[in-house]
Amino acid sequence: MIRIGIPRALLYYQYYPMWKTFFEELGAEVVVSPPTTQVMLASGSSRVVADTCLPVKVFLGHILALVGKCDYIFVPAIRSVESKVYNCSKFLGLPDLTRAVIPESPPILDIDIDINKGKRNLYQAIYQLGRHLTWYPLRVRRASQAAWQAHLNYHQLMSSRNLTPPQVIERISGTAEAEANSSYLISAQATIAVIGHPYLLYDEHVNHRLIHRLEQAHNRVLTPEMLSTEELQSAIARLVGRAYWTYEEEVVGAGAHYLQSGADGVIGIIAFGCGPDSVMMDVVRQQASRLKATPFMSLTLEEHTAEAGIVTRLEAFLDMIHRRKRSQVKTCV
Amino acid sequence: MRIGIPHMGNLYIPVKALFERLNIDYVIPPVNSQRTLSLGVKHSPEGLCIPFKLTLGNLIEAAELGADTLLMAGGYGICRLGYYAKIQEQIIRDLGYNCEMVQLGVSEQKLFGLLKVIKRLSNYAPWSRIISAFRFGLAKLNALDKIERVVQKVRPIERIKGKANWLFAKAIKAIDKADDYATLKRVQTDYIDQLNQVTKDNQAQPLIVGITGEFYVVLEPFSNLDVESELGKLGVEVRRMTFISEWTKFSLFLNPLGMNEKDRIHKAALPYLKRDIGGDGWESVGEKVLHAKEYDGLVHLAPFTCMPEITAQNIMPSTKENIPVLTILCDEQIAKAGVLTRLEAFVDLLECRRRKCNNK
Repeated sequence: MIRIGIPRALLYYQYYPMWKTFFEELGAEVVVSPPTTQVMLASGSSRVVADTCLPVKVFLGHILALVGKCDYIFVPAIRSVESKVYNCSKFLGLPDLTRAVIPESPPILDIDIDINKGKRNLYQAIYQLGRHLTWYPLRVRRASQAAWQAHLNYHQLMSSRNLTPPQVIERISGTAEAEANSSYLISAQATIAVIGHPYLLYDEHVNHRLIHRLEQAHNRVLTPEMLSTEELQSAIARLVGRAYWTYEEEVVGAGAHYLQSGADGVIGIIAFGCGPDSVMMDVVRQQASRLKATPFMSLTLEEHTAEAGIVTRLEAFLDMIHRRKRSQVKTCV
Repeated sequence: MRIGIPHMGNLYIPVKALFERLNIDYVIPPVNSQRTLSLGVKHSPEGLCIPFKLTLGNLIEAAELGADTLLMAGGYGICRLGYYAKIQEQIIRDLGYNCEMVQLGVSEQKLFGLLKVIKRLSNYAPWSRIISAFRFGLAKLNALDKIERVVQKVRPIERIKGKANWLFAKAIKAIDKADDYATLKRVQTDYIDQLNQVTKDNQAQPLIVGITGEFYVVLEPFSNLDVESELGKLGVEVRRMTFISEWTKFSLFLNPLGMNEKDRIHKAALPYLKRDIGGDGWESVGEKVLHAKEYDGLVHLAPFTCMPEITAQNIMPSTKENIPVLTILCDEQIAKAGVLTRLEAFVDLLECRRRKCNNK
């Protein structure tokens, strides 16, 4: 059986169920790299120039962890999934970058996804990807339909039950029966929205278990995935008119939404050196200072980020929010 | 309506000619200075690149001089640049200037889009006037770049260092003043003659270093601390493919007809980078592969945190065509002494390499 490696980084959190279904339908075995560790991050960083952004370094660490454990590694180049909205260059160059800096990696399966080139082009790209595993176009077609269905289910599960991507992925793969986030809701002191790309929010090594820490401090945590596409898009339309980046909803859309409703505080998470985020998070920050309604804090993550620094800032932010809530209650009484 | 524009190299000269011929009221902000940079850095989000900060500084300085319509490149591409006009407009508004931002989406709309914007700015002047003014602007642009190419050849071998640069500065002023084709032509031939007559060391075989990288930092000497002149002083002949006139010639006139000068570069990059990654990343890799035989080395200029160029920088060392590459990241922290030391070391390395090759 052909083993296909999928790194647990970058777009994994958005598309894993879809990719897994696709490859499994075509009779391959999917191997996922283990959760990020310091060793993986260090080995990834050692391959690229220092200015490369943290998520890409993490990604390369995952590729290195997969070397020798699979026959192919799947690295898509996602250029555009919406008409005239483009992705960051790092995503576009990902397969080539991986080949260049990790020459020992198994052959890379790449696929160019560009909606602007039309449906025909997209279908051809999918078929070419499937060709590595089967010669029958119909099987590829069936597999891609099943994959698309898996993708829709995945997103539906997240937005309807308020689950985070890792929780849903655990459910789908049946490793653990994740409980819906309701146990601590009754005792929640405040609702904190965390916005940013999934590869930062759910990689516990990179963000020093930020979500876990927030929950332990008795806060209800909201993430961008818990909003429906319509909510995100209308928030974007209100703030910037039209999205410019492929994953703008997660930052600008969710930020604009939570700043106006549903959260006591918003934490924006960005990676140091991230091109799109430097622009998008600033749009959210400006909006926060204009509205003056919901406190906003942005945390920049990089490989040197010390845990203590994050914890201190988090505690200060939470203290401020809790105090603010108490004083609001008093004035109401 | 008073129009303000950001700087990029000598682009302001043709733009000025265009505006004057169309009787458009304009201000050209002072050339890039430490003040421009400080203004830009102060009001920019920290993670943005040097082109954003400098152009923002220019636009603020233009607004200070009374501009109420600001021109900035923009449109949907794949680098952050397309988003810049929007953010800059917001920042300038927040500073209390009531300015309208006009985006030039040249990459998508080509020549006609550009001409339409000019028509609107010129208060709907007749097309004949717009086209003749545009042609004159282009003529100035071509003259500037033709002289600059000669300057690049003369710099490394001139006997008295700095003569070529001095003549170039004079030529820029003369071209700026010229206001008909005849004078322009005369100025061009006159200065090219003068440059050719500069006393030179004719025996010298200067090292050849290519300059590649992100469009803005390659073309704006302030942002790269005038790497080209510094290399010239070290006796190195600089070659670059990026000229504004080349870019306009192709992207405005020839690309719509299906001719693409970059195809050759892209083809060269294919084995290492299969797809366009936005900005000039593809070209950077391609130029290294393409010119590995002609050049002794390559200076790769990129703004700090530039997404396409970082990807290119990571891919460059893996190419089979092997020439030394010096990547210089440009940002507000860049210092002359640091860059000079690195350039000197780089040139030493190239000389060593050439001697070894000759001995073999």
